[in-house]
Amino acid sequence: MPFTQLVNASLEILLNRLLTLDDASSERLRALSGQRLRVRIREFPQPLTFAFSDKVDLLGDTDSPVDCDIELSINTLDKIGDLNRLNQLIQQKALTLKGDLHTAQAFGILFKELNIDWEEQLSRYTGDVVAHQSFNLMKGLKQKFSRDMAQLRSVLSDVALQEKPVAAHPLAVEDFAGEVNKLRADTARFEAKLTQLEQRKAGKA
Amino acid sequence: MSEQLNNETTHFGYKTVDKANKASMVAEVFHSVAAKYDLMNDLMSMGIHRLWKRFTIDCSGVRAGHKVLDLAGGTGDLAAKFSRLVGEKGQVVLADINQAMLKVGRDKLRDKGLIGNLEYVQANAECLPFPDNHFDLITIAFGLRNVTDKDKALASMYRVLKPGGRLLVLEFSKPTHEALSKAYDLYSFHVLPKMGQLVAGDAESYQYLAESIRMHPDQDTLKAMMEQVGFEQVTYHNLTGGIVALHRGFKF
Ligand SMILES: C[S@@+](CC[C@H](N)C(=O)[O-])C[C@H]1O[C@@H](n2cnc3c(N)ncnc32)[C@H](O)[C@@H]1O
Repeated sequence: MPFTQLVNASLEILLNRLLTLDDASSERLRALSGQRLRVRIREFPQPLTFAFSDKVDLLGDTDSPVDCDIELSINTLDKIGDLNRLNQLIQQKALTLKGDLHTAQAFGILFKELNIDWEEQLSRYTGDVVAHQSFNLMKGLKQKFSRDMAQLRSVLSDVALQEKPVAAHPLAVEDFAGEVNKLRADTARFEAKLTQLEQRKAGKA
Repeated sequence: MSEQLNNETTHFGYKTVDKANKASMVAEVFHSVAAKYDLMNDLMSMGIHRLWKRFTIDCSGVRAGHKVLDLAGGTGDLAAKFSRLVGEKGQVVLADINQAMLKVGRDKLRDKGLIGNLEYVQANAECLPFPDNHFDLITIAFGLRNVTDKDKALASMYRVLKPGGRLLVLEFSKPTHEALSKAYDLYSFHVLPKMGQLVAGDAESYQYLAESIRMHPDQDTLKAMMEQVGFEQVTYHNLTGGIVALHRGFKF
């Protein structure tokens, strides 16, 4: 089975589905219409070629001419919507770009500004009431989750600050014990020396 | 070539029929399957035909402004994608011999909102009604095996292609492994006609489909046929173990 085509087909369906969920995306897509962008993600074996019209077509070819050709790592992908960042990334060599900078930027903006009203989307399938309740429930759960997380974080930081120094590491204990022994030996030697000096002084007197 | 038995007869699946009759018999098959064609395609190939078509597009080198002919284009799967890729300055012609298939294609593409750069032409691949050196790209997907005189059709495609243009033929071919070939036979002669009966109420057309696939020239024969009419740098790429092959040739 043509594997590249399978991956591209799935990605293409996903991207276009996401774009149709945001009414404003057609405006952003229009800015790219007729252009082509090739993205070589370093972690992927195959480049992705995006052809923009009123939707996004994902092509699996590697050599057709494109308006812009960028190579970057997957972590950098979400940073290309911002022109300043884009220039910075190019200077830092985190990204190489051939062709039109604005194509890359418009592509970044297309997905960065994606604004999907999930409650509204859910209500299409479940009706308004269920969607609203589910969203409230989810919001509540999310809030509770972040509260719990905040609490956990503060407990953990207390533990780190206050209890950790008390529960010393075995190596530190060993080192400490070593220092104490040395001190004890030094004190004993000092005591012997002192006794010796006292006796000598007494002898002289 | 292998298709011609003598001057007057040809194959229709495994049957031998008068050449003059084949076109109308093929027309009848596609007339009867037109409405359920897309659904059957998805069912029969388990959706894989979409990937074979994607591969074809990936090999097309199509660009904004190109003129594309999707021959035997049927319900317009390839044409829809080409229409977006060539943009408003380009042109896509969806041509098919069968009015019913063309109508399904037109309705489907119109529903997708594609209109501007698309044209629909009822035409026989053997004598294309277009000027010489006209198209940058011609595709014929699962169409060539239905054509009565394939050499004539290939020559006609060569004529209307621009120098520098390319032809892509996507067609069922010969599986490269014995075991796959056996499984495929079983599937196409036993499962397919039953599926056709069940979904489209038409076992005969799908029996024809299976037979016509077996009678179609294999990879190397088709390559030689393309070279014979003038195509250069002809290569083919087997897909899904050779069940399908994509042939590509250039006119220089
Ligand atoms: C199996 S369908 C393929 C449709 C479409 N290309 C696809 O891949 O889904 C074959 C098509 O070839 C058309 N056809 C058969 N003989 C033809 C001929 N001589 N010239 C043009 N089209 C023909 C049929 O009408 C039918 O629509």
